[in-house]
Amino acid sequence: MSWAARAATAASGTVLGEEAPGPSGPARRNGTTPRTVRSVSGLVSVIGAAVIWIALLGPVIALFTHLSWHAVRTSLTAPGALDPLVVSVESGAVTLAVLFVLGTPLAWLMARGRLPFPRVWEAGVLCSLLLPPLVIGLLLIFMVGPYTPIGELLGRVHLSATNTFLALCIAEVYESAPYYVLSAQAAFSGVDPRLEQQAQLLGDRPARVFRRVTLPLATPGLAMGLSVAWARAMGAFGAVVIIAYHPFGIPLQIYTTLQETGLASALPFALVLLVVALPLPLAAYIWSARAGRRRRG
Amino acid sequence: MGIACVGLAAAACSSSSSPSGNSSASASASASAKPTGTANVAYASSLQYLNEKVVSPAFTSAEGYKFSGRGGASGELEQNIASGEISPNVFQAVGGDNITPLEPKFTKWYVQYAGTSIVVAYNPTGPHASAFKAIADGSQPVCSLFSSVLQTPGLKLGRTDPNIDPQGRDFIMMLQLAQSYCHLPSDTVAKIIGTSDFGTASSSQIYAESALEATLQSGQLDAASAFISQAVQLHLSSIKLPDAINLGSFADAAAYKKATVTVKSGKTYKGSPQVIDITTIGTPTAAGIAFVRYTLSSAGLAQYKAGGFTVLTPTAFGDSSAIPAAIKSELGG
Repeated sequence: MSWAARAATAASGTVLGEEAPGPSGPARRNGTTPRTVRSVSGLVSVIGAAVIWIALLGPVIALFTHLSWHAVRTSLTAPGALDPLVVSVESGAVTLAVLFVLGTPLAWLMARGRLPFPRVWEAGVLCSLLLPPLVIGLLLIFMVGPYTPIGELLGRVHLSATNTFLALCIAEVYESAPYYVLSAQAAFSGVDPRLEQQAQLLGDRPARVFRRVTLPLATPGLAMGLSVAWARAMGAFGAVVIIAYHPFGIPLQIYTTLQETGLASALPFALVLLVVALPLPLAAYIWSARAGRRRRG
Repeated sequence: MGIACVGLAAAACSSSSSPSGNSSASASASASAKPTGTANVAYASSLQYLNEKVVSPAFTSAEGYKFSGRGGASGELEQNIASGEISPNVFQAVGGDNITPLEPKFTKWYVQYAGTSIVVAYNPTGPHASAFKAIADGSQPVCSLFSSVLQTPGLKLGRTDPNIDPQGRDFIMMLQLAQSYCHLPSDTVAKIIGTSDFGTASSSQIYAESALEATLQSGQLDAASAFISQAVQLHLSSIKLPDAINLGSFADAAAYKKATVTVKSGKTYKGSPQVIDITTIGTPTAAGIAFVRYTLSSAGLAQYKAGGFTVLTPTAFGDSSAIPAAIKSELGG
């Protein structure tokens, strides 16, 4: 397993609750006090974790403490106020579909070591994670702008990759792809290759092995990867503001509202973003945790 | 400030910047002390290059204070200051109408000291470059820019959002003035910008201010709106426009008012000469006062001139009694 995959596996293992049963684990099911809080050191750990958790939630807490419900009502009931929500959801769905179709095979090949010079492939994926989204947007101009070969090709079929829905999807794909590919690589790396080999020995072709063995076992990890990518796509801004100023998704709606009418009327759209973007990752988290528990028996 | 900032408090004072953190009295008391502190300046994006690359090092070298800048659309910065989101010492805006809403809570005055004008920047290597060059060098009349070149099918024109950026509004107003100046049909502006709704942001021509010139420089646009100062600083090929339409001439202020843009919020903006205004925000700090004084000095104004701005005689508006004495001295007051 590569270093990136190991790191990601460690991260997703914790997320899935497979390695470290928490309050929903066996202790709670037995109706006893969780072992982690039985001792003073355990209590300190919980308090420390709570402090970190609350600190991480700081911006969200600030959002709710500074929201004026009158402003929420005024901002969200204005004509066309929720159009950006539709744009964000549609572009996010397209982004996930593209990532699943294109990113999954790449992640599988990387996880199974089927590619020459594996570190080069990993470094390539990490590059787009390392580049600031604003820079990705600027570089995408050179790649898909109207006078580039790709742009001219699109122009022949009356499409454009600047300031269009297509441009928005492209920007979101580039901002979220590394999150999905690395998570999917970790998910595939967590599938025991011996199970695949046994299925092959029983006569299954590679495609069937992938469909019947690899994919089901990796699905919880893939779901987590997709949910993280979804959250990233919904909040994508840096690349979007450069190549897809129009049509507005929610992040740009927040940006323009902030400039047009100020903070009070922009914050309600941040609430909308949370409400829309959060359920899918949460559902994926819960489902993945349950799948992990089922697998452990 | 020098008296107030002793011992442990010195570090806090040197990091500076709350507008209410220092009094003008302490500011004047620091005259003989070694300057410490930072001038936190919120400025219109069109001043970004000048402030960050030219004025900032020269100001620090001349006055001893540090400089910390934040660029943005003038209207956005005004909103940020009004809501308390940012607390700069100094505010530089395109147009006094972005400062007056802050009066009297945050400031009571502003000084007008420089002007800029609208130009049409173009891609010197694009498919329409020869047409733009012919107008830029005077071999074709400037009116042909509006009557034919900018209406060429497939030409890629970029501009900024009129709802949030003064340049976005100015460009449309310039087109309105050009339509009248060149005696063109009444639908000329709509044909050029692709819509008769001048306030809409739903247009493939509209880019974020930070992206527009970058997109032009990358060769992916044929032409874009720009202030002349941006064209000079970014070395953009551009077409200078007659005073009657470029929103840069004070003599034509009355004529500019005939051009209007109504934005999504329903607010209507009238054309006016594009001026740069400066003021302090909150209780003036020594660093803030020093920055305004430096900007209005002959050395500061020379930097603006070199940057493509029109230098004006600094003129105060509002309650002149509220202007700190050190700044008044630069006004000759």
